[in-house]
Amino acid sequence: MTAKANPAPVAATRRPGFLARLTHPRLYCTVILLALLLAIPLASGSTFMVHVFVTICVFAALATAWNIVGGYAGQLSLGHTVFYGVGGYTTALLIAHFGLTPWIGMILGAALAALVGIGIGYPCFRLRGPFFSLATIAFLEVVRLLAIHFNGVTGGSAGLIVPLNLGWTWMIFREKVNYLYIAFGLLCLTMVVSWAVRSSRLGYYLTAVRERDSAAQAAGINDTSVKLIAIAISGALTALVGAFHAMYLTFLEPATMFSLATSVEIAMFALIGGLGTVMGPLLGTVLVVPLAELARGWLGASANGLHGFVYGSVLVLITLTLPGGLVGTFGRRVTRWIDALPGGAQSEPVAAPALAEVGGTRGEPILVAKDLVKRFGGLTATDNVSLTLKRGEILGVIGPNGAGKTTVFNQLSGFLKQDAGTVDVIDAAGTRHQPTTPDGFARLGVGRTFQIVQPFGKLTVLENIMIGAFLRHHSVENARASALRVARLVGLEDVKDVEAATLPIGGLKRLEVARTLATEPSILLLDEVMAGQSQADTVRMVQLIRAIRDTGVSVIAIEHNMQAIMSLSDRIIVIDSGKVIAEGAPQEVVRQRRVIEAYLGEDFVDAQGL
Amino acid sequence: MDVFIQLLINGILLGSMYAIISVGLTMIFGIVRVVNFAHGEFLMVGMYAAYLLAAKFGLHPYASVVPIVLLLFAMGALVQRFIIQPLLSADEHIQIFATVGLSTALVNLALLVFGADLYSVPPSTVQRSVMVGGYSLVIGQIVMFVCALALVSGLHLFMQSTPLGRAIRATAQNRTAALLMGVRVDRIYVISFGIGAACVGLASALVMPLYPVSPTIGTYFVLTAFVVVVLGGMRSMYGAFFGAMIIGLVDSLSGYYIAPDLKEVVYFAIFIAILIFKPTGLFGLGRGTE
Repeated sequence: MTAKANPAPVAATRRPGFLARLTHPRLYCTVILLALLLAIPLASGSTFMVHVFVTICVFAALATAWNIVGGYAGQLSLGHTVFYGVGGYTTALLIAHFGLTPWIGMILGAALAALVGIGIGYPCFRLRGPFFSLATIAFLEVVRLLAIHFNGVTGGSAGLIVPLNLGWTWMIFREKVNYLYIAFGLLCLTMVVSWAVRSSRLGYYLTAVRERDSAAQAAGINDTSVKLIAIAISGALTALVGAFHAMYLTFLEPATMFSLATSVEIAMFALIGGLGTVMGPLLGTVLVVPLAELARGWLGASANGLHGFVYGSVLVLITLTLPGGLVGTFGRRVTRWIDALPGGAQSEPVAAPALAEVGGTRGEPILVAKDLVKRFGGLTATDNVSLTLKRGEILGVIGPNGAGKTTVFNQLSGFLKQDAGTVDVIDAAGTRHQPTTPDGFARLGVGRTFQIVQPFGKLTVLENIMIGAFLRHHSVENARASALRVARLVGLEDVKDVEAATLPIGGLKRLEVARTLATEPSILLLDEVMAGQSQADTVRMVQLIRAIRDTGVSVIAIEHNMQAIMSLSDRIIVIDSGKVIAEGAPQEVVRQRRVIEAYLGEDFVDAQGL
Repeated sequence: MDVFIQLLINGILLGSMYAIISVGLTMIFGIVRVVNFAHGEFLMVGMYAAYLLAAKFGLHPYASVVPIVLLLFAMGALVQRFIIQPLLSADEHIQIFATVGLSTALVNLALLVFGADLYSVPPSTVQRSVMVGGYSLVIGQIVMFVCALALVSGLHLFMQSTPLGRAIRATAQNRTAALLMGVRVDRIYVISFGIGAACVGLASALVMPLYPVSPTIGTYFVLTAFVVVVLGGMRSMYGAFFGAMIIGLVDSLSGYYIAPDLKEVVYFAIFIAILIFKPTGLFGLGRGTE
């Protein structure tokens, strides 16, 4: 697409003023809620209340930090106290051996925890669902057992007492209320970080990866690296809180610092409040912790195990009745009320940023596949396929079902690694690239759709398109504006705010195209986008693809809709049993005997006397 | 050399205990496709039941096998019917949370009822060792080894040659196709979960004379059982059996040659390595078998 078609200047981007954000009801309601966490214990003046609220702040911060990996990225870590313990032990050991103030110690602990997070995440992120959880438990157990074993360093099972130097430098106080200030500060910090992640490109990317790996990769997201960033941030925040909590408890032992039960509790609070939401972990903690702490306060030691029993039962009940958690279930309604408060005006829409111009000379090759071979066991799905796509061309790919068309597509977009052969992408300057990963292909301008649609079901249509737009536009405003333009172009503007999962198949096919277009590709790979479309929609789709081509984009389209592909393509290749059996202008190709044979069988060809 | 052979024997015998627990876990994962994080707590419940039967009625745990197996079958079936079944089409993380929540609730319920103390049944001959060819074997462990073999062969026969077993295998392979062939899939899941839990019931009656019970005993055993299941390829009963033997050997050998408190580190390291490098399990039985 060219800049000529879109004269909107980039400078038109406007962010709402800082003051306007400050007076937004969502912000001041959050601030009021948070302030209560300080005001209630201060007003009550009781040490027990201060203790309860320190505990609430600590667990809310832990749950909020956990949520960055467990909620946003959907990686259910059940060993998150690894980071908590790393923070605590690093801080305590630095005080004991080097006399280093815990304020610096906790930052070093956080840095170490971030590294540990990357170390755990890198091998484990390829595991699915429960197996990721099991692996994190295993890591936690290993660390705990090692902490017990190397008792020379950690004090082993006997534990480690924090040197009791009073004062702000050493984070040890006689006045318990000082602990509350620090715990509250840490909670605010994690909330701000969590909010910042959620409302940035990273937040959208994490959601995309959680919802659907393949589509996220096609949108140019390196799924491992965004998850690693998430676990590093989450681990570092958890370590900060762990360091503080160790100073508060003044005693560290492997059983509590690396506790599986605590890991589960943290995750549980986030689920009860609502996974993947900013406020959920805080609300879940505020709801459950006081209940358990008060019960413990009233019933004393006779209630040993009661709070755990309550936690576990509440968790099972929540999964059965409110799987979205509090925020997931009631969030939308409450947000609407809050937005109706004074100051809740919508911010003005932002003009779409200019599109990058597709360079290069028409007719030159832009994508060259040479001698591709792909075998699955004994089946050769792709047998020496070579093809060249020229700039500004529409190349149709046809062939009977099971001929291996999609397999070729998967190799042209990095989703399958070919056994032999090469795929070259040639940029506007004429440089040849051989990307190896789906996101690498996407960044070089190869956009693809999926035959079996891959929407991010729980995101709105517009958000789905934004995931693609983020590849070229890093700010949320620009991505949204750009996505809106694509939605208009593809005919999805009317449904931009509905959940993608609720679209009918025709809409989903258009959404595939929209998400891919939003990445502003120079090469567009379309896998049966006409299937499931009505007659009128097919005509529109043909017009759309032509319009896209006219902006300089090169297109390869797999299609079974013969009428559409014949009228659309400049050139056609026919694939059968993994081989290219014919290539040329549309009208010539369909008259070739081998092509008719492939579709209708030899008998038919003989009977017709062709 | 003698020490080494003795360690091998200990390992195999220890492995047979893990085998019984892991076969149950594999049944549940392989058929219902749910990872039961509360599996260890089923063991804990079975052991407390065995303890109570011994304390109140003077029953030897071996004599209470039948009631405990029935109790655990019922418990598993109820859990499947009322907790897992409503969540079968829910997100995976919801299923994880449901069984994790169940596990937390059961551990703490035990803590509430029995306290953190260890309870054991009165000593019996089962704890004694016999000398065979110069090596010492604990009688209770020999019983477990025999029971593990009997359990795997019994389940094999049941799965291969009864109509119900066939229906279970069909359901495990393709839920939808089984449904279309008239298999009552929901009922199959309830039965399978029950059988999985009943295996743990057998294990608890056999383990009780040798180990004291405490609220957290399940966590200790189940983490090992997960290692075994992953090692064995997750869906294969036979894989679980051999995986258990390997973990028994690793436990016994690393406890002696490395350090007693690091043996778990060794098999968790194996666990992580298998998950990452060979997710179909050590024997490649992960897909298509059973």
